[in-house]
Amino acid sequence: MIFLSLTTETGFGVNNFIYFFSTPYLTQALFRSLILASVSTLIAGVISWPLAYFVVFCVKEKWRPLFLLAILAPFWTSFTIRAFSWQLVLSDNGVISWLIEKATGSSVALGILYTMNASIFGLALFGSMLCTFTLYGALVSIDKKLVEAASTLGARPYQIFRDIILPLGLPGWLAGIVLSFIVCIGDYAVPTLLGGGLKPVLAQIMLSILKGTYDLSQAATIATILAVTVIICASPLLFFRLFKRRRASA
Amino acid sequence: MRDLIVNRPVFILLTAFFCVVLSIIYMPILVMIIFSFNSGRYQTLPFREPTFEWYVNLVADSSFVDSFFTSLFMASLASLAATALGFFAAYAFSKAKIPFYSLFFGLILSPLVIPIILIGIGMRLQIVSVGIEPALWLVLVGQTLYVLPLAVINLKNRIDKIPKSIEEAGISLGSSKLHLIVFILVPICAPTIFATILLTFTFSFDEFVIAYFLTNFEITLPIKIWTSLVTGFEPKINAAGSAVFLFSLILGFIAQFILLFKQSEKQNGIEPREM
Repeated sequence: MIFLSLTTETGFGVNNFIYFFSTPYLTQALFRSLILASVSTLIAGVISWPLAYFVVFCVKEKWRPLFLLAILAPFWTSFTIRAFSWQLVLSDNGVISWLIEKATGSSVALGILYTMNASIFGLALFGSMLCTFTLYGALVSIDKKLVEAASTLGARPYQIFRDIILPLGLPGWLAGIVLSFIVCIGDYAVPTLLGGGLKPVLAQIMLSILKGTYDLSQAATIATILAVTVIICASPLLFFRLFKRRRASA
Repeated sequence: MRDLIVNRPVFILLTAFFCVVLSIIYMPILVMIIFSFNSGRYQTLPFREPTFEWYVNLVADSSFVDSFFTSLFMASLASLAATALGFFAAYAFSKAKIPFYSLFFGLILSPLVIPIILIGIGMRLQIVSVGIEPALWLVLVGQTLYVLPLAVINLKNRIDKIPKSIEEAGISLGSSKLHLIVFILVPICAPTIFATILLTFTFSFDEFVIAYFLTNFEITLPIKIWTSLVTGFEPKINAAGSAVFLFSLILGFIAQFILLFKQSEKQNGIEPREM
């Protein structure tokens, strides 16, 4: 249904696409979407390792779900509200700059809010929840006997990590990366509330088209381009997973 | 097993890292809750004397209250519908032999891996090209489809663990297929079903994009919050945000708690099947 609507709307000709790629405003937005999503996802991916590692290996088995929930809890509450709550903290007269002012006695303009960095920060935090969740699933199912055997044979913690945990955790981690990239590239709330409206990403432009100028075919064009982008970016990782699984079962 | 993998310094580092990330995640939310009791008109420190003014304003604002009830209504229906549909889908995927199994299963789960904004736009374009006016019942359909994968995954995980012998016993004792589902499978899965309803409820309650694209005038709570955020700040948004956050936090927490804790235990004396 979704794809049908997208193709019929844009199927009249490639004019829409020519318009898209000849408009710097739009191509820049696409580029910005890509950078924002990849950088945030990368950061999220890095953060997720120690987090999942802590929950799986440092916490008693009984308490694991509780710690996981503590990390995941904000995930199922409103996106918008969380993005907005960061405004309160990051803004030039927000909590952080107030704290700095109290500590140093001089007032500083933080200048973080309404920049790309703020968007990246917000999205990375969100993505890290997703990554941690999928990585947790992979790490929890690692057979204890493997680790014990390795250790009996004299493997040090680092070796155990490199030879057992890393390869076994990788599929879960990759799934998290793909999911987080998809969420980040389609997000509108964080870029609007933290990144500001001056340098919009594609999702923001789509939102404003649908509620503003109401140019449906253009919205469909942008949506198609975004969908293709997601597929292109996600497919290498999925292929990698498939390939891995084939090899494992062979 | 912990000592084998993590030595002492690494353990301390990981613990510290976890605490830091946790505080970063929760700090802004705490700040928002604190500000929602702050009597100052502007969102700056220092903190003025505490007040319930914004909460009172919020309840007095009929557009907020109306949108809350709209959301409540929609989310209840969507979660019930998704859980019911999800149960049968999960049952079919779990027990029946379906041709092109992975293709269909992938299709059911696909909303999870498509950016929601694309789903929203796709639905909008679809209804416009068919000629239906955007309306609330479309949001209901859209949100049900959106949360369906969650329901299917949770319920399938549970149904997979029910040993085949139970069904076989039921059938050999003369129970019909329907009787089997209603009186045996549903009670066994009851905690999971309950958790799934809660979980899909929170997701649909907080869902913004589909509701935003598929309605023109009817407003759900996330839309109300979003529009008041974009058009200009009022302190009562802090109050609304805090209330909504705590509301969905608690519901979601209960749901996940059941799924993660209860599911791993034995239920009704049934041993989980080794997977």
